[in-house]
Amino acid sequence: MLEVKNLTVRYGKKIAIKNATFNAHNKEIVGLIGADGAGKSSTLHAIAGVQRFEGEVVFNGYAYHSPAEAEPLKSQIALMPQGLGLVLYPDLSVKEHFEFFKRIRGVKDDPAYEERLLKMAGLYKFQDRLAKNLSGGMKQKLSLICTLLHRPKLLILDEPTTGVDPLSRRELWEILDETRHAQDIVILYSTAYMQEAQQMDKILLFDEGEIIAQGKAEELLKSAEPYTYEETSCDECFCFDKRCYSLKPLPVPHAKPTLEALFFINALKKGKKETRFQIKPKKVQTPPIIVEAKGLTKRFGDFVADDHIDLTLHAGEILGLLGANGAGKTTFIKMLLGLYPIDEGELWLLGKKIESYEDRIELKNYIGYMSQNFALYKDMTIKENMEYFGKLHELPSKTIAQKIEELSQGLGFAEYLDEFPTSLPMGINQRFSLATAILHEPVVLFLDEPTSGVDTIARAGFWKLLHELKRKWRISILITTHYMSEAEYCDRVVVLKEGKKIVDDTPQHLHELYPGLSFEEIFINFYKETK
Amino acid sequence: MRAFWTILLKELTLFMRSVGLVVAVLFFFLVDVYIVGNDIEIEPKNVSVGYVDYSNGGVLSKKILSHLHAPEFKKPIPFQSHEALSKAIFDKKIVVGLIFDPDFQKRYDAGGATQLNVLLDSTAATQSLLTLNYLQNIVLGFSSPKFPIELKIHKLFNQNSDTKKFMPLAELLSIMTLFGVILSASVFVKEKEQGTWDIMLLTPVDSRIIIFAKTTSQVLILFFLTMLSTGIDLFGIFDLPLNGSFAAYALMTLVFLYSIAGIGLFVAAVSNTIMEVAQWSVFLMMPIIFLSGAWTPIYSMNIYLQYLAYLSPLRYYIEGVESILFRGTPVEDLWLYFAGMTVIGAFLFMVGYRKIGKLF
Ligand SMILES: Nc1ncnc2c1ncn2[C@@H]1O[C@H](COP(=O)(O)OP(=O)(O)OP(=O)(O)O)[C@@H](O)[C@H]1O
Ligand SMILES: [Mg+2]
Repeated sequence: MLEVKNLTVRYGKKIAIKNATFNAHNKEIVGLIGADGAGKSSTLHAIAGVQRFEGEVVFNGYAYHSPAEAEPLKSQIALMPQGLGLVLYPDLSVKEHFEFFKRIRGVKDDPAYEERLLKMAGLYKFQDRLAKNLSGGMKQKLSLICTLLHRPKLLILDEPTTGVDPLSRRELWEILDETRHAQDIVILYSTAYMQEAQQMDKILLFDEGEIIAQGKAEELLKSAEPYTYEETSCDECFCFDKRCYSLKPLPVPHAKPTLEALFFINALKKGKKETRFQIKPKKVQTPPIIVEAKGLTKRFGDFVADDHIDLTLHAGEILGLLGANGAGKTTFIKMLLGLYPIDEGELWLLGKKIESYEDRIELKNYIGYMSQNFALYKDMTIKENMEYFGKLHELPSKTIAQKIEELSQGLGFAEYLDEFPTSLPMGINQRFSLATAILHEPVVLFLDEPTSGVDTIARAGFWKLLHELKRKWRISILITTHYMSEAEYCDRVVVLKEGKKIVDDTPQHLHELYPGLSFEEIFINFYKETK
Repeated sequence: MRAFWTILLKELTLFMRSVGLVVAVLFFFLVDVYIVGNDIEIEPKNVSVGYVDYSNGGVLSKKILSHLHAPEFKKPIPFQSHEALSKAIFDKKIVVGLIFDPDFQKRYDAGGATQLNVLLDSTAATQSLLTLNYLQNIVLGFSSPKFPIELKIHKLFNQNSDTKKFMPLAELLSIMTLFGVILSASVFVKEKEQGTWDIMLLTPVDSRIIIFAKTTSQVLILFFLTMLSTGIDLFGIFDLPLNGSFAAYALMTLVFLYSIAGIGLFVAAVSNTIMEVAQWSVFLMMPIIFLSGAWTPIYSMNIYLQYLAYLSPLRYYIEGVESILFRGTPVEDLWLYFAGMTVIGAFLFMVGYRKIGKLF
């Protein structure tokens, strides 16, 4: 049993979480949800005994008030921090990670369990691969199974499924579910996927450093019902994922809410409005076909990461690139960008055949890119980072200042402009990476999982912005995501499986083929069907 | 051109923000040159040390602590938290604080690359910097058994110039060489380490400008440090003469630093982490210094080594600088040194540039 009493975490003057109080019983999975920067990570770190706090935490009768006092419990606690592969060693292989974590944790061999974990993570076949050569989601899954290896009594997972594909997310849930039935364990689990939260025994809703609601999913959903409507056009409301949320009655039928509703309703109650993006229309001359790839192939040794992939991106089109972890999405994008040499196949960008470094250099001003780990310079403030990239793109200083102002307002990170990226929640970093990627008004955007780990409201705003960019600038976008509901916002989707293209179709048509199924179910169907 | 200045400025800013690095280079360029030049061993005395061991009482932290004993140190005092320790330093109860992270031992076991956090009382500058130097020697003894690094300060001697004035100069030259390679390689490798390399490649800036701007930023930093050390240590403390032209000295320094930066580019191309940069730099520094004739006069070397010695940029620099400072050789007679260094420098820079250019 875990009891948290009046837990408060401060960073200097800033209060990250104030007076958090909750209980968790053995065999319970407690979900932490809330906007970016709401205080989930700080709470989890304090409980894990790696962050100073005020208040009291009691675990199985043992009370602690500081990291030092938590020391005796450390062997029972496992924390998986947020961020892609933070606990991994780039030059150790998957198998070596297992051996290493077993050794330092003093875990006995249990080949059956180990195999199970490796298979769940889809890493069974890749045990000799070095961590640095794993895809983003594979890294995440490796950290996760290393954390699960020693069967802790208090398992603390900070957004463990960020960047993890839908199939593995289900697998993970099964493992956790099984673990808690087999042994006494308390699991704290923060997540940005509301379908996951829905399954948990108890949910804590965080907002601006406080827990504003807690309870079972059904109870929380009930509270949201009066404010949830079917999609319509309205003022003073938020719309996302086929539903609209409004405090005032709308002239359309109610819809069944998901937990995402809580975020929107809470925002409405605080008087927040949906951000309206002010994007000035721009006349651009672009060829009708922006990207044309024919039989693009990438090999790493004997392993074929991308196998003869054809793909066309038309002007003003939003193309979703989907696929399980390690399917070859990032590798494909990197080939398009020239970050990996192309082993086979032909490529035209903006109507120009790409054969050399020189062919690319002048195209760079027309391309925007946001990488999966969205790294920017961590010793420069957000503003300095943006100014730096603006200048390298030859924008006049005045335009840069104006754009920073505009984008930081529009994407909701204006208050963080003078902070360093490392001190900010992941979701904020993601927004400013996007802002940096569109600063120079590119014609085509390559976005590698821009919404992983970002809260619902920000994602809704993000998609609004993408559609706005498309409308006003006729921008073309190639985007990858593991939120299957976001596929609905794409004009067309391409699904990769183990380096091969298995689907290239519009979401509408796919829905016609599989009536009544959600996009996630359609995706999983396809994956299971194609061998 | 704007891109060039933007990148240059960014690198200078980032350098100034890495306080640890600034302290370290200032220490080596100013204090270390002074210590070696005086041929004195200054040991820290009775320094009070505090520590926080988050690493769960690992063996490694114990081992390191056991090296801190009398007369240099008082018995290290354990603290409960980072904050408590910081406060004790602030209150002047402790001069040096060590923090062993939770994964301190773990990372050492995993790959040998681990990090020890050191807090220093910067108002007690000499004491704490001496301790830092001392600690560095202890810690380096532990790091990576496969490739033991020794950053020990070399006692230089040169039968050529029995004058004591040569010592601080020779030390400054080796420090320039070492940091020249480290700094100019790090500006690139940091981008690899932090994952910003890809974004850097996607900026619409010619790779030549990126490489040149980044290198120049570090050359400027090193140039500034060298001039500082020359002014304060060489001319100020050790009273070295300046019989020739200062402008020639400055220009020669600049050319020398660019050729060292060329070696840095090569190191940057083959390293993925700062740790590797450090290993390569120490590894490469030895032959450069050895072949320069700073330790053994060139004429007493093996004949093959004598030929090889033509390749060390440091050789021309040492001889050139000696001529300017001590002999007061007029500028027009220095052309041989300039020519030698320019040719070698251009060669090294081209090799390094080619090597790193392949990554773009
Ligand atoms: N440098 C490399 N050496 C060997 N294998 C590599 C290398 N880079 C990537 N791979 C492998 O190529 C495959 C595809 O990786 P990629 O990063 O493209 O996947 P992804 O579809 O982006 O997955 P995710 O959804 O997890 O981000 C993976 O199996 C990965 O381990
Ligand atoms: Mg990827």
